[in-house]
Amino acid sequence: MNKLYIFLKYFFIVVWTVFVVAPFLWALTTSFKDFQSVNGGVTYIPWVDFEPNLEGWKVLIKSPAKGGVDIIEPYFNSLFVTCTASLISIILGTLSAYALSRYTFKAGFVKNNDITFFFISQRIMPPIVLSIPFFLFLSSINLLDSLTGLIVVYIVLLMPIAVWIMVDFFNKVPREIDETALIDGCNPYQAFLKVVLPNSIPGLIVAGMFCIIFGWIDFFFAFILTFTEVQLLPVKIVALNSSVTPWWSLSASALVSVAPLIIVAFIVERYLSKGNLSGAIK
Amino acid sequence: MAKIDLSNISHSYNPNDPNPVYALNPFSMTWENGNRYAILGPSGCGKTTMLNIVSGLVRPSAGRILFDNKDVTDLKTEDRNIAQVFQFPVIYNTMTVYENLAFPLKCRDFSKSKTDERVNSVAETLNLKSFLNSPARKLTADQKQLISLGRGLVREDVAAVLMDEPLTVIDPDLKFRLRRNLKEINEQYKTTLVYVTHDQNEAMTFADNIIVMSEGEVVQTGSPKELFERPNTTFVGYFIGSPAMNLFESEVSSNDSVKINNNLIKTRTNLSNLKTKNIKLGIRSEFIKIAQNQNENLIDVNVEKVEDLGNYKLITAKMGNFTIKSKVTRETEIPNQNVKLHIPAEKCCVYEDNKLI
Repeated sequence: MNKLYIFLKYFFIVVWTVFVVAPFLWALTTSFKDFQSVNGGVTYIPWVDFEPNLEGWKVLIKSPAKGGVDIIEPYFNSLFVTCTASLISIILGTLSAYALSRYTFKAGFVKNNDITFFFISQRIMPPIVLSIPFFLFLSSINLLDSLTGLIVVYIVLLMPIAVWIMVDFFNKVPREIDETALIDGCNPYQAFLKVVLPNSIPGLIVAGMFCIIFGWIDFFFAFILTFTEVQLLPVKIVALNSSVTPWWSLSASALVSVAPLIIVAFIVERYLSKGNLSGAIK
Repeated sequence: MAKIDLSNISHSYNPNDPNPVYALNPFSMTWENGNRYAILGPSGCGKTTMLNIVSGLVRPSAGRILFDNKDVTDLKTEDRNIAQVFQFPVIYNTMTVYENLAFPLKCRDFSKSKTDERVNSVAETLNLKSFLNSPARKLTADQKQLISLGRGLVREDVAAVLMDEPLTVIDPDLKFRLRRNLKEINEQYKTTLVYVTHDQNEAMTFADNIIVMSEGEVVQTGSPKELFERPNTTFVGYFIGSPAMNLFESEVSSNDSVKINNNLIKTRTNLSNLKTKNIKLGIRSEFIKIAQNQNENLIDVNVEKVEDLGNYKLITAKMGNFTIKSKVTRETEIPNQNVKLHIPAEKCCVYEDNKLI
């Protein structure tokens, strides 16, 4: 019984690991192949099955004039837009969430919970519904095809996530902490900054992670709201495709594009396993 | 360190409702500088509301609060210089024990040396010295509560230290020592201490003044002895003392005596101006003894059970429909089923409509 349990446990772990890792391995080997090795049947082991080369990777940094696609600029555009929008969303979202958690708002029948729901309801709508309003809005303020315009749109999309996560988090932070800080001599702003906020770092990390992921992977709005001046990474990667699908450079760009998320995940995982997140709130 | 006046304070959590429910009915009270007060009452009687009003977390619906004759009703909590300790430990998780204790001083710009001195002295009192540099979140629940307490005591100049059942999570042994420490701190620094509790023993051993509350009403204020011997209402008689005060429905038979179950009991109370028939006689079980050679205020009872409670014996007896409890010394011999008990006239309290006459 016990042996069977252990066997099944490891069996499922192995299956799951293969399931998760296989696409990465596939992408990694493919990125070093050329046309011949991709189309010549299934091959896995470099130098034995096929002769690896760096063409797929070189295309990504070569300028278009030399037959490349140059994803470096879109890459940094994406980093800049995602980080800026996430940061602003987290700051605004945290402030609104704290207010929604600690103070009572009332406008007719609209109360705190309704306001929180209003925020998250922005994410319930299918993005396609928002595309035309966003397009018209950005064009009216002349921000189409610009980084600033994208940042504005991404803040609209990411802030509800931050508000939603942080309201829930602040509701779990006992009010007595704020009250004690007031009694100890802080004004309400200091109480928030010096006491409540440091206690909320786990929540901030979770909210930050969600914002970064949703911001980074967005293709739809980046595609609709930019043309030639500014391009974001997902759009550029899709643009790689042509009549002959360049699997090698697509694979390389896919790996490059998930790299930041993998790094973020590793850092957060480290932080989690150190126990820094657990037991922070009594 | 201040004299605190609560004048005509009342509070409702729904004051705009046509029928507001009052958590605190109007009352006035003065807390003298340097005294120890206990607010005693069952759960939900308004004790915590009273503390929160004093600390400024709650603004009273009506009435004024004065610290040393200065009106602070509209002053914010952070400007009142008051300390409050809650029932459950509240600590700043991200800080060390030292930083936790130093926080109230840091917020008020105390010098580094002064902070050091105060934190060390408080840590000494509360046995926290060896933990000063550990992260506060790593401590056990009762150590965390000590930190809360320490933050309350770290400022010497506070108007008062308000404690809301602070020792609930602490084990009995340490509880006893801490209560004594608090008393010492009060005697040494003359800090006004206000202690909320629903445990009468805690209140009796800690405070020199007890405020008894019930259903948003301040029922009686006085020393432990006054509350014990002359409870203002039957509620206080019932709530304070273990066992509760013996209360008997009785009829008035003359100017100073009542009749219970055909036994005439003399009292020292003038009973000539009564308005109702709802009369009760109250007597503490500590004062009822087995009759020796007295010839009045005697009652014949049927002993139901005798419990040996270590340092005394508790007799439970029946007289008609009435149950009587009497505390006697362990050495007392209880002769047989039928005994005569003596009720001393000077210890009798007579209640009309549950209020002491």
